[in-house]
Parts: sequence; C-alpha cells; structure tokens
Amino acid sequence: MTHVMQEGGPPDGAQLARMIVRIAVERDRQAFAALYSHFAPRVTAFLRKSGLPPNMAEEIAQDVMLTVWRKAEQFDPARAGASTWIFTIARNLRIDHLRRVRVATSAEQVEPEEIETAPSGEALMLASERESTVRAALAALSDEQAMVLRLSFFGDKPHSEIARELGLPLGTVKSRVRLALGRLRALLEGET
Amino acid sequence: MTIRHHPTDESLMRLAAGSLPAGPAMVVATHLAGCPQCRERVAEFEALGGILLEESAPVPMAPDAFAAALRAIDAEETRAAAGKTARPAAKPRAGRAPATLPGGIPLPEPLRDCEIGPWRWIGIGVRASAVKMPDDPEARLTLLRVGPGRKLPEHGHFGTEFTQILVGSFTDEFGRYMPGDLTEMNHDIEHQPIVDPDGECICLAALEGGMRMTGPFGRLIQPFVRL
Repeated sequence: MTHVMQEGGPPDGAQLARMIVRIAVERDRQAFAALYSHFAPRVTAFLRKSGLPPNMAEEIAQDVMLTVWRKAEQFDPARAGASTWIFTIARNLRIDHLRRVRVATSAEQVEPEEIETAPSGEALMLASERESTVRAALAALSDEQAMVLRLSFFGDKPHSEIARELGLPLGTVKSRVRLALGRLRALLEGET
Repeated sequence: MTIRHHPTDESLMRLAAGSLPAGPAMVVATHLAGCPQCRERVAEFEALGGILLEESAPVPMAPDAFAAALRAIDAEETRAAAGKTARPAAKPRAGRAPATLPGGIPLPEPLRDCEIGPWRWIGIGVRASAVKMPDDPEARLTLLRVGPGRKLPEHGHFGTEFTQILVGSFTDEFGRYMPGDLTEMNHDIEHQPIVDPDGECICLAALEGGMRMTGPFGRLIQPFVRL
C-alpha cells in the first residue's frame, strides 16, 4: 500500500490528484479517507463563505465527496488540478441546491440534472501551469485587491456585500472590483 | 470569425464561481462555445476557485460524517451489485426534432436542450421567442429577431442585459456587433442598437435585475418577457 498522506503538513496537489486516480482505478477507500479528511472540511468552509447555512454547507460537502467517489474516473489531471476539479463539483451542486430551493417554493419539482463535472479547461494550457500562473498572480496583488477579489468571488451579490463588509459606497466598490480584475488580468498575461 | 466583444472579466468570474443567474449564464455559455479565449479565462477563474477552496480554513465535520459517507458508498455498491443503477439514469430528452433558427441555421450547442417558444410579433420588424431552459424553467431568456435597419426593442435598464449575436449584426453608440460577439449593457446607459441594413439580426438576450421598458415597443415586449 502506498502512503496516501505524508507525515506532517497537508498533502500537495500532486498527492491529492494521485488519490483521486487511485479511487478511479482501484476504488481505494484509504485514498478516499485521506481525500475526505482534506477536502470535506474545506468544502464546508467554502460553501459557508458563499452564503449557505452551516448545516446545508455540510450536507452539500458530503454530496461533493460522494460525487468525487462516483465520478473519480472523469478526473483528468491534465485539465484541472484536484482542488479545481472538486471546486467545480461543489459549485455545480450548490447551483443545483439553490435552484431546487427556488423551484420548490414556486412550481413543481424538477429532477436535478446529471451534473457535468468537467471543468472548462482545455489542453491549451496544462492545468498545473495555469494554476501556478493564477496562484502567482493572486500573490502579486496588493492585500486590498486580493481581498476585493476573494469577496467578489464568494458573494452572490458581489458589490453590495463587499460594500457592506468594507463600509464603502457601492460605486467605489464597483470600481475597485474592476481595478482588481484588471490588475489580475494584466498579471495573468505577463504584464506588470 | 473574429470576436471583438467579450463578456467582462467580472461576468466570466461569476460564471466560474457559480453566481451568475441562469439566464445570463446561458448567454455567456453561448459565447464561450465560440470563443476559446474566454474559455481559457473561465478556466483561470475556476483555478482561482480551486486555490480559494484550498486556502479555506477547514471547518470540522460532524463526528460521524465520514462513517455516513462510507455507509452511502456501501449502499450504492450493494445496489449496483444487485444490478440496479445507483441513480436513475438521466431521462432522455423528449424526442423533438432539433430546433433551428430561422433560415435553417442550427441552434448554438449550449441551447440544444432548451425549448424554443413560437416567434411572436412584438413590433414592426421585431419578433421574439421565449427560451425555456430544462434545468431552470424560471430563467428568463429570449431570442430576438429584428429586421434590417430596425431598432432593437427600446428600453432603459435597471440591471445588466447580456446579448449574444447569433446571426447578422447591429450597431450602437459603442460599436458594431457581429456573430459571436457579446455585449453587456449596464443600467445607467440608455442604448439604442440598430440592426445593420444588410440583413436581419438574431440574438439571444437575458437580463440580470429588473428592466423598465420605455416607448411603444417596450410596452409591447414588457408582458412577454414576464417582467
């Protein structure tokens, strides 16, 4: 049995990706356990930040992990890293959940769609290369811009929530989001 | 096809984050189908999502959460071994002939499962068709078909209007829009796109936020788009 976790410190991206591949190939429950202990608490935190109540965040995180188990063979490390792939699953399940809540309160129930777990990435750029570029760009933003970007990524009503959180007028927030995204774009495209 | 007008980075980020409403998300998806550059941008924002997930401070799960996950897996595998699928297979789509746009032009790939309503006359030279998304019947999505030289339905906005050009072209104060282009028009601007004289224009439009219609065409379209 290979070691699924290295001693000390959380597993890195390559180790996480290997765990998913082992679930796909061998239905390896030890790999699933390691992946679960790394991701379930983070997915829960992430979903809470995106505005879901704690119990719902945990319930959907549980669904995310079961989807990882079921769809592990769809994971393609060349298209997306482990975290990005699991992020897209969490995003899709959150959308399904919010839609069901909305539809249940108005019209008849609609069957949830079979979720598409493939992230948008193509083989244009290797996932690992893309992720390190994005990580470097995020690190190069000013603290304030990185915060504006994080808040607008999580918010359902980005501008008004950021305005409240930072105590700024709405118009100021709109221009700061635009500036932060413009700076991120420049960094991603290799300008400084 | 050279695409000159793209969704804003903010809209691409919100699509990747899952916070763009279903109607505008479908308009942007139609753009992505023809725009590798924007697909790469969405992939970058998804990678950002992965990074933000990775850096989230873990929240402890309920003590029995992992055991419950294993029980769910066991139950699924027992069902699978008994020859039943763990989940009911997705219902096949109703056996409709694939819808086409006027002139026999195929529908853009992202719209293939949508129900395309009848074309209704909403003003001289302007017809509209309600598009129903199978996953989200409540989403407001409209196909507009506007004759050469005609104005697109006039309106002031409260939200943002997402418009993807499918056929033909139109021009407004900000430039000329060709097939593959997407415009996002904001509420503070009253814009007046006019279809170019060389042919009719078909576009897919969705609104985020409310819309206040002005002018006789606006009043006609108002009940139709269910605002």
